[in-house]
Order: sequence, then C-alpha cells, then structure tokens
Amino acid sequence: MLESYLMGELSDEEMKEVDRLAVRHPVIGQELEKIRKGILTYAEATGNRPHPDVLRAALKTLQDDQEDTQAGLSKLQDTAENRIKSFPVWYVAASVLLLVSITFNLILFRKLRENREEIRSLTTQRTLLAEQVETASLKLDDAETRIAHFTNEDNIRVRMEGSEISPRSFAHVFWNKKTNTVFISVDNLPEPPHGHQYQLWAIKPGQSPIDAGIFDYNEQIQKLKVIKGDVMAFAVTLEKEGGTPHATVEKTYVKGFL
Amino acid sequence: MSPPTQNITKGNSVEKDIVHYLKTRDKKALQLIFENYGPVLLNMILRIVKDRPMAQDTLQEVLIKIWKNGQAYKAENGSLFTWLTRVCRNAAIDKTRTKDYKLSEKSNTAVDLVNISELAAHEERTEQLYMRQMIDQLPSVQQKLIDLAYFQGYTQKEIAKFMKMPLGTVKTRIRLAIRNLRSII
Repeated sequence: MLESYLMGELSDEEMKEVDRLAVRHPVIGQELEKIRKGILTYAEATGNRPHPDVLRAALKTLQDDQEDTQAGLSKLQDTAENRIKSFPVWYVAASVLLLVSITFNLILFRKLRENREEIRSLTTQRTLLAEQVETASLKLDDAETRIAHFTNEDNIRVRMEGSEISPRSFAHVFWNKKTNTVFISVDNLPEPPHGHQYQLWAIKPGQSPIDAGIFDYNEQIQKLKVIKGDVMAFAVTLEKEGGTPHATVEKTYVKGFL
Repeated sequence: MSPPTQNITKGNSVEKDIVHYLKTRDKKALQLIFENYGPVLLNMILRIVKDRPMAQDTLQEVLIKIWKNGQAYKAENGSLFTWLTRVCRNAAIDKTRTKDYKLSEKSNTAVDLVNISELAAHEERTEQLYMRQMIDQLPSVQQKLIDLAYFQGYTQKEIAKFMKMPLGTVKTRIRLAIRNLRSII
C-alpha cells in the first residue's frame, strides 16, 4: 500500500486515507519517508531524474512573468508621468488653438449671418421689383390695349357714368362695329360683395336688357360677348356670381348712352 | 477529523520546509520539491502522458502551477505530497488534451519501454557511480520492477501484463525490491 502511495497508484481518497493514518501512526509517515528516500537515491544513482532544465525553465518562466509584470507596471507609471509632464504644453497649445478656432468661427458665423440677411433682403427686393415690373408691364399692356381701343376707328366708345348707388364709378365699353364684339374697360368700380359679380347689359329700345357678359372687376380690359343690332345704351349691374338672364335694374352701378 | 498541519508534516522536515517556503513566497520551495519529489512526480505524470519529453514539459508546468497556487495548499486536506500528486494528475490530463500531445501520440506507435541509456544521459558523478554499483546488487528483475513502477509510469497491472506475472507477485516483488533498496543505501 505504501509503495503504491509513492508510485501514484492510489486514488486521491486513498492517498488522503494514508495521510490520515500517517498522522495517527507516525511510524507510517516515517516508513513513507524511507521509501521516498530510497526511490530518490535510486533515481540519483541511475540518473533517472527529471532533467535539471525542467526546474531552470520553470524558474525562468516565473522570473520572466515577474519582470513582465514589473515592466508593465513601470511602463504604466512612465506613461502616466509623461502625461503629467506633457500636460502643460498640450494644454497651452490646445487652448491657443481652441481660442483661435472659436474666434475664427465667430467671425465666420457673423459673416455668414450677415450674408444670409443680405441674401434674404436682396431676394425680397428682387421679388418686389419683379412684382413691380409685372404690374407695370400689365398696366402698360392695359394702357396699350386701352389706347388701341380708344384709337381704333372701328370701335364705338361709350363712357358709362356712376349711378345713384355708386356716383364715383365709371367704366367704358368699346363696341367693334365690324366684329360686333363688346369690350369693357373697368376704370373705377367698387369691389363686389362676396358671391357677386358685375354683368354688362346692352339696352335696345322696347326690349329687356340683353346679357353682354359677366366680368371681373379687377381686370381692366376684358373681351365680352358679341352684340348685334340697334343698341342705345350699355349698363353694368351687380348680380349673383355666374350672372343672370334678367338684369336687376335697381343694382345698376354705371350706365352710358351711345 | 482534520489533523493540524504540524501533525501532517511531523517526521518530514522537507515537507515542512516546502510548506513554509510556499507560504512565504520563497522560490526555494520549488527547488526542494524538484529535488525531493521530482522523480516521483515525473513518474506520476508519465503514467498519464506516455511521452518522456512531454512529461518533463508537464512537470515544468506543474512547478509553475505549484508556485502560483502554493498559498492555496491546506494541510487539513491532506499531505503536501497528496496535493502535489493531484496537481500533477490534473496537469497531465490537461496535457493529453492538447493538440501537440494528440499529434505525438499518433507518431508514437509504441512506447519505448525501457531506455536506460537515455535516462542515464546525465553525467554520472563518483557518488552516483557508487550508488549505481550498490543498486546493481539488486536482482535485475527487482531493478526493472522499480524502474517500471517508479520511473517509467507503469501501473502494477501493466507491469504484470508486460512481465507476464500475476498482479500479486508484482506487488510482492516491488515491496521486496523497495525493502532491499532501503537496506543497501
């Protein structure tokens, strides 16, 4: 049993049992020691020992591990020291760079904001100008059209004056004798109430007013219907949107005779 | 049930010294283990790792493990030798699971059973020569039994098979061989 103990032939539990016995009976412990020494002597004599390099290599590995750990520690320390040492230089350099950057950015930002405002202002101005140009252009077109109508020898021009309900109003009708087409020139008519529209009527003797067309109050020259025959006057009434076949005479705004 | 440390190490000053050095983190512990238990521990490893160079590598790893876990050794759980044996067995089993071991196992078609000349490669000193002569007085069968059981990592069962002897005879003869060995040294 004791020989097997040193041979490594016993299980862990069996070995512990031998250990307990050795504690209880010192003679067992002594016997084990004697066997171990015998085997050791045998090993020495026969060179049957683990190669000394085994111990050397193990010690070297441990030594290297220790040095690595120490080197690692001192490297960490060095890095920390370097960081502390280099801190002021970095700090100053970084601060200066940061300040320069902030200043530069502020200038750029201000400039950018100014430019943006300028662009916005210019855009508005351009839009206004464009509107003005368009309005002027439209006015010019209207004026030209009006002049053309006024000067057209084929046109019969009728000025319609404001009635009692709108004394300041006035408008013109151009009636082309050749084509019989009626044009209206809205010169001064108040804005119609919501859902209402102006309508032009041709008045012939002994007849009800003849529908000459509805028109927008804000467009100056508008081409309306073709009216033939013996017209004695033109009048404009305010009607519901879309017009009506029968004129509402009491809502006559302007009227003019040929 | 748990015997105190001093009782375990009573009569074994080497074990006591080793435990002391392990606790005080003195590398002399490893040297003492190597010198006093090296051959026996290598034999334990050889029982599992059937390759001598690899077994020596394992022993080296065992020494490192002992150093790293030395403070974990508790005398109440058994003797230092039992603990060393456990560390060796675990390390040897781990070794057999490595890729290197599996490769070498394939190339080794048969284990070189007794290679005394290789084992005796160390330079023999005069003292060793003297001891060698003493040991040579032992019957060659007993020498072989000691060699197989304590240095080649063979179990008594394996030896019985190899030597074509009943297991009981192997056990008796090993005991006898050890007794004779003790008497001549």
